[in-house]
Amino acid sequence: MGLRAHLLGMAVLLGLYLALLFPFTTYMANKPYVEKLGIIPRAEVLQVISADQKQLVGASVIGKVIMYFGGLVDGGKTGEIRVPADYPAMSRTIYAALKLDPYNMDGYYFAQAILVWDVGQYQIANNLLEYGMKYRTWDWYLPFFVGFNDAYFLKDYKNAAQMYMRAGKLSGNPLFESLAGRYLQQSGQTEMAIAYLTMMAKGAREPAIRKSFQTRLQAFREVRLIEEARDRFKADHGRMPERIDTLVAGGYLKKAPVDPYGGEFYFEPDGSVATTSKFAYAGVRHAGEKGK
Amino acid sequence: MLNIVRVTLKGIFRDRVFHGILAVAVVFLAIPSVSTLSMRQVTELSITLALSLESFILLLLAVFLGGTSLWKDIERRYTFSVLSLPITRSRYLFGRFLGIALFLILTAAVLGAGALVAVKVVSSGYPPDRPVAWGAIMAAVGFDALKYVFLVAFAVLFSSLSTSFFLPVFGTIAIFLVGGATQQVYDYVHSAAARTMAPLVRQVATLLYYLLPNFSSFDLKVNAIYAVPLDYHGLALTVGYCVIYTSLLLVAAAAIFGRREMK
Repeated sequence: MGLRAHLLGMAVLLGLYLALLFPFTTYMANKPYVEKLGIIPRAEVLQVISADQKQLVGASVIGKVIMYFGGLVDGGKTGEIRVPADYPAMSRTIYAALKLDPYNMDGYYFAQAILVWDVGQYQIANNLLEYGMKYRTWDWYLPFFVGFNDAYFLKDYKNAAQMYMRAGKLSGNPLFESLAGRYLQQSGQTEMAIAYLTMMAKGAREPAIRKSFQTRLQAFREVRLIEEARDRFKADHGRMPERIDTLVAGGYLKKAPVDPYGGEFYFEPDGSVATTSKFAYAGVRHAGEKGK
Repeated sequence: MLNIVRVTLKGIFRDRVFHGILAVAVVFLAIPSVSTLSMRQVTELSITLALSLESFILLLLAVFLGGTSLWKDIERRYTFSVLSLPITRSRYLFGRFLGIALFLILTAAVLGAGALVAVKVVSSGYPPDRPVAWGAIMAAVGFDALKYVFLVAFAVLFSSLSTSFFLPVFGTIAIFLVGGATQQVYDYVHSAAARTMAPLVRQVATLLYYLLPNFSSFDLKVNAIYAVPLDYHGLALTVGYCVIYTSLLLVAAAAIFGRREMK
């Protein structure tokens, strides 16, 4: 074949390539982007096959979870989740990643930021965090997380105070000691949650995670407003209000409180404020399903 | 023997291996932006990526240079002309090994410098909670290089046995995987979870643990990434282990190569 035949052949192929390129890129651009978690091998298997790249594999597995979660969260202000999130899969994946690299802070942070609130597996989270404390001996975040879970979710105030003391010692921050003091009394729970969430939201760099903290913070600020109104009502009338509406009607609340998770606030029999959403989008769905 | 070392190094450079490495090392430029994907440990992620890249390149070099060097010489009938010179077969073999080892150490030094620059850039933008342990990063690179020199000795041993490159290349990859898992398997077999295991299996696993190489002790990534203090006593033991085991492999390879028929 001569040079002309080669050039002609190349020109034809180039033309075909260009003709195909446009539909091809359009197809790829329109392909829905959802990072799937799928099934990852057991932690023990991963450990063997990742050879000397355990930290890299651990980090990429956690990266997958972050991408997955980021893809679920709406780009809008609310941080609302459009698609039902596969929390058990996220939980499993994080666990496998931390078995590979028990030092990886992203894993503990994600478990604490998302899985504790949305899945309600406090004890599992605490076991994971306590496992991490054996490795990250310098890190005050882990005892800080465990302490919060102990006090807020598990109502184990004694352990919480111990964890806060430990976090205080590691960080040299006096805030923890005052928090430890507050954790010894059950009242002021909302105040504590607000302090915790403000601190977490400040340190969050990943937009999806920060949004989730801010939404939760907004919900707790609403709860605090209701609690303050409830206490004023009680002082005036000498009894607890039965319903949130009573507070609005009586002028104790300027407007009806809005749960950013879409739930309804109500009073528990002991007078504490709760919401049907349980401070999670998943909570609204569960409540809705039960209603059906 | 020094001539062989020199010829080996020259040959590697002539094959443009170093250019290839530099081309792959361009990936170091992407590390700062990829690291920002982490939520709480940007600098730690940059160290992870830099060390992984360096380790991966060294692995490829150890497998392919170590596994094909002798085979190529025999295939090109280069060995006949060399071995007609007043030089013993074992000296020729050691020379080849040393040449590849020197090249690996040189590459590790260049890539290690690249890694340090990448980490420096990231850590100035995202200061980590604890100061970066520069010494530990350099130690991690150094021990990684040592591990791959150790692996090259296996490649040379397999090359001395085999007439094609399949055994050296795949054998070396297998040794790399096995060597990374021996400690885990040993720990598992002696843990409470494996109590139901047959005693024979446990004994065989223990025997293999003592025979097969153990690469876990060369892995200082955790120390480098999370600034965990190094255990100098353990490192000294690791160096001794590596030197003795490598020498054993080379002596065995020389013995086999010396008796081999070359046609």
